[in-house]
Amino acid sequence: MGGGGERQVIDLTSQKTFAVARTQGRRVLDELSAKSILSAYGITVPRGVKVPPHCEPALDSIAPPFVAKLISPDVIHKSDIGGVRVGLPDASAACRAVRNIEELAYTRGMRLDCVLVEEMAPPGLELVIGGIIDPRFGPVLMLGFGGVFVEILKDTAFRVCPITRWDAEDMVNGLRGAPLLRGVRGTQAVDLRLIMETLLALGGDDGLLISLQDEIAELDINPLIVSAKGAYACDARIVLAAPMEP
Amino acid sequence: MSGIWRELYQLVHPQVLAVVGASATGVTPGNEFIRHSQALGFRGRIVPIHPNAPFVEGLPAVKSFKDIQEIVDLAYIAIKADDVPDVIAAAAGKVRYAQVMSSGFGEVAGGRALEQRLIQAARAAGVRLLGPNCLGVYSPRGRISFIGGTSEEAGSVGVITQSGGLAADVILRGQNRGLRYSAVVTLGNSADVGPTELIEYFLSNPETNVIGLYAEDIKDGRAFFRTLRKACGVKPVVALVGGQTNQGRRAAASHTGSLASRTEIWRGLAHQTGIVIVDTLEQFLDVMLAFQTLVPSGERITQRCVVFGNGGGTSVLAADAFDRRGIDVMPLPPMAIAKLEALRLPPGTAIGNPIDAPTLTLRQEDGRIAERILDIVLTHGEPDAVVMHLNLPMFMRAADQRADFLQNLIDALIRVRGRHSSVHFALVLRSDGSEACERRRREFRDVAVRKAVPVYDEMANVADALAGIAFYERYGLKRDAPAM
Repeated sequence: MGGGGERQVIDLTSQKTFAVARTQGRRVLDELSAKSILSAYGITVPRGVKVPPHCEPALDSIAPPFVAKLISPDVIHKSDIGGVRVGLPDASAACRAVRNIEELAYTRGMRLDCVLVEEMAPPGLELVIGGIIDPRFGPVLMLGFGGVFVEILKDTAFRVCPITRWDAEDMVNGLRGAPLLRGVRGTQAVDLRLIMETLLALGGDDGLLISLQDEIAELDINPLIVSAKGAYACDARIVLAAPMEP
Repeated sequence: MSGIWRELYQLVHPQVLAVVGASATGVTPGNEFIRHSQALGFRGRIVPIHPNAPFVEGLPAVKSFKDIQEIVDLAYIAIKADDVPDVIAAAAGKVRYAQVMSSGFGEVAGGRALEQRLIQAARAAGVRLLGPNCLGVYSPRGRISFIGGTSEEAGSVGVITQSGGLAADVILRGQNRGLRYSAVVTLGNSADVGPTELIEYFLSNPETNVIGLYAEDIKDGRAFFRTLRKACGVKPVVALVGGQTNQGRRAAASHTGSLASRTEIWRGLAHQTGIVIVDTLEQFLDVMLAFQTLVPSGERITQRCVVFGNGGGTSVLAADAFDRRGIDVMPLPPMAIAKLEALRLPPGTAIGNPIDAPTLTLRQEDGRIAERILDIVLTHGEPDAVVMHLNLPMFMRAADQRADFLQNLIDALIRVRGRHSSVHFALVLRSDGSEACERRRREFRDVAVRKAVPVYDEMANVADALAGIAFYERYGLKRDAPAM
């Protein structure tokens, strides 16, 4: 994190993003906006490029394999409708995926903001990290195992913000599945410090949840893909706070 | 002495009481408060406020607060809800704390506006408000009580509750378990003084070593969190939180939102602050008793427990109950076993852990055998905790009444406890519910608790109690360890 001045700029920029979304009548930030906010608060997101409708993807700045994702204000669960294509080995595969996704949007009559082509995160374990603003306790942070586990096994740890480094470690160790993170039966251990850094960026003293608690109602990073090489926020959604009563 | 300490001290140790709503002829809650406080030996002045009676409960009454010369530390108000705001307004400059027993405020439909009026009246009058809809304060040192039958003996447990009815359970049932209170404060709707302020008071109050909290709605959750976080677990806090399953909070649009129940948030808060969360009133009392009597270790976490007593099935079930709570009942080391074998205990004695000793064994040396067994266990077994359990009717109904075996067994435990201050000792006295057994248990309990050995009814209770201690110890050790 930078100095106070830099921080103010980040807070202001983020608040502007929320203001724009509100004027557009959105309840949820799109993935791109959500990721730009996460990134500003120090959370690693995959590198990616926006491909506006009917444009040729310019993918020189990013490296395969790629993921292509539909960005539309009309879609919440994009993977459910086939709006996400993963494991694209090269630029031409990415181009085809972009066109397919565009077609999908048109045939379904959905507005299309763009297609997002991203670098695919190195394979790893899927976690979910999120936050809510509780009416009594304020910003609250969650860590859990992602994918199907989050709903079925509910292997989660919650903490009231701000959390300390010590809380972050305690959250990780408190998961029933924590041994998976350390590597079982020959699987490689993930970098626990990266998980802790992400938790702190979100729920720490000057983290995102404290800074933006008036703007946000709920936030999910799902999945956060963690390996020995990195922790990438591969998808994110931020639900806007209901407007203040006049 | 911090500000909060000084202020709330007067609430718990008042010199001048005023009572609004006591009757000159009948018995109202106001009369109850006067009588029970007098019965506890209240030494200050009690002034009934009554519109026309010259005497109430034999005490000279006045018509209004302004007729009282001194500053009233605590005004007890039990009148029709609609009349309360005006009474509070009339207390300006005369009253430090007003405890409003009356209900019919924010807790009932349409009562919000009246509660707001009450808050405004109190603020304008400079009167701090307890309640409304709260039963009051029990303070053995201050010698005030809102119910009868309370112990005069002051202790070290301070309790805050948002339910008055539950306070009665905590006080009366708790004192029969051996709990002794520094104060029990009911907060009702917590319109002004809230749980956080009381926690701050008990944290800084040297009379209090253990804090109990029954919470239904912590309105200032963030201040509550900050206070506990800052305290760093300096005193154990045991929390019973009601209404946790009453979700109805959000139509969540995220995984986090759908998973974030009150239970989960409280659990997280417990990890951050070291407060021990319990699920039932029984556990609340059991765990508070453990903290009142045992000294949590700053060096290790209660993990290894030796179980010793009569009843094979009880021992097995105990081991299961302990295991579920994360406490090990591990086999004793070879040296301990060898020493125990050398005692040549009667057949049927299982030397291991649990140590299952039939009554025949426990009658050896008129019961004093327990001291030798326990000494070996403590010297060679290195336990974190020792639980002795005795099935009372097995001794009381036996034909063999040559000696008071039970007394000797318990005395033995207490003597051993005196020699091993770093180990947690607990006693389980199992009764058949007969009057004779219950009476005996009560007598033993009084003696043992005074000697810092908590007494429980069943093995599951002591498992909960030790698990509470272990959670607190774990927090203390984690807190002191550097993070990654």
